Amino acid sequence: MNAPAAVPRNPGPSWGYGFLLWAERWWPRWFFRPVLLAGTGVALAFMPVQRAHSRAYLAVVLGRPATLTEVWRHFFALADSLVFSLRAARGVPVRCVLAPEHAAAFETLVRSSRPALFGTFHFGGSDLLGYLLSERGRRVTIIRLQVGNSTDTRLLGERFGHQVSFLWINDPARLLFDLKAALEAGESLALKCDRLEYSARSEPFRFLGANRLFPFTIYHLALLFDRPVVFCIAVQETARDQLRVHASPVFTPDPAADRAANTRAARRHFQGVLDQLETLVRAHPFLWFNFIPLNPAATGGTLPPDSPPIQPACHSERSAESTAASPAPGANPWILRCAQDDNRMRGAD
Amino acid sequence: MTDPLTLRLQHLILATLKLDDVRPEELPVDEPLIGSPRFGLDSLDALELVLAIEHEFGVKIGSSEESRSALGSVNTLAAYLRTHAPGL
Repeated sequence: MNAPAAVPRNPGPSWGYGFLLWAERWWPRWFFRPVLLAGTGVALAFMPVQRAHSRAYLAVVLGRPATLTEVWRHFFALADSLVFSLRAARGVPVRCVLAPEHAAAFETLVRSSRPALFGTFHFGGSDLLGYLLSERGRRVTIIRLQVGNSTDTRLLGERFGHQVSFLWINDPARLLFDLKAALEAGESLALKCDRLEYSARSEPFRFLGANRLFPFTIYHLALLFDRPVVFCIAVQETARDQLRVHASPVFTPDPAADRAANTRAARRHFQGVLDQLETLVRAHPFLWFNFIPLNPAATGGTLPPDSPPIQPACHSERSAESTAASPAPGANPWILRCAQDDNRMRGAD
Repeated sequence: MTDPLTLRLQHLILATLKLDDVRPEELPVDEPLIGSPRFGLDSLDALELVLAIEHEFGVKIGSSEESRSALGSVNTLAAYLRTHAPGL
C-alpha cells in the first residue's frame, strides 16, 4: 500500500460519516430514515454545483427537465448507497447475487488464479465490488483517489484488509511504478472507468445518445500486461442488504493478434459494456453517482440508439498532441488517469 | 554521427510508441520525452517504453525517480543504460 500524498476531501461536515455510522447502527429504522431524508434535503440546499450537475444529467437520461424532487431522489440514492457501504463496513453481511447473463464466465475468471483487471463505474453499489471479490477468494488491489474524510473506505479496508489493498493515485509520481509493480507481482486490479479526470487515454463511445469520451486505460493495461478485463456493475437492494451484480463478458487479449486488432476488439468490448451500463442507468437513473458534468460528447454528434459501434478516434494525450492539445499547463504527465476515487460529490468547491 | 545505442533507442521508441510517421533521425535526442508539448509522452507511453527498455536491454528501471531521470531525453536514457548495463 503506497502512502497518499495530497488528500482532498468530500464535501460535508467532518463528522458526517461518523454520525451516519453511529445513527444507522443505534437508531431504529423508523427514526433513522426520516433523518436521512431530511439530511438529504439539507445537502441538496447547500450543494448547488452538484445539484446543477444532477439536474443536467437527469435531463439527459429522462429526456426532459428534471424536477427538484427527482434531483432530491438522486441525492438520496447516494446517501442510501453510502449507508449501505457503511453497514457492510461494520460487518453486516451483504449478499451478492450475480445476474445470470455472463455469470458463468465471470465466476470462472474470479475463481481462477489468473490475475485480472476488474472495471466498474460510479454506479449503484459498485463501490463494494472489490470487497465482494475478495470474499470469493480473489485478492484485489483497488486503485483509488483517497479523500480525507471517507470513513467507509477506511472501515471497508480494515474489514477486508487481508484480501484488499489500495493503490492511491494521489501521488502521481509514484503511481506508475506502484502500478507496474502490482501488475508484475501478479495482482488483480480494480478500477472505475467513467471519470475522465484521471484518464491518460480516453476515447469516444456511444452512451446516453451521444458519442461520449470514456477512460480507456484499463484496456491499454490489459494489452501491456496480458490481463483479462471484466466489468461488474452492482445495483444495491438496500432493504435486503443485497447487491445484484451484472457482469460483462470477459475480454481476453489474443496473443496471436497484433496490437491494433486487440485494440479494436477492446473497443468493441467496452462499447458492449457501456451498452450494458446504459440499460442499467435507464432502469435506475438515480444510481449514477457522478455529480460532475456528464462525460462530454466527443464530436457533438448524436447517434441513433441502434447505431453500430462508432469508429474510434483515439483521444489520448499523445494523439491530441498533434493537434496542439498537449497536456494542460501544469498537468503532471505521470498521472495514470484511470482510477476509481471515493470523492463522491466532487465539484463542491 | 549518432552512436549505435542512441540510434537503437530512437528505433525502439518509435516502434514502441507507433510513431510511424517519424524517422529515427528526426527524433530529437536532447528534448524531454515526458511532458514536452512537441514530443510529450503520457504516463501510459512512459510505462510502455519502460517495459520495452526492460525487455530489450534487460535493465530494470526500479523507481519513479529513476525513470523520470532516465526518460528525460534520448540522451539521458542512453546514459542511464550505459551506467546500468556497462556492456552496451
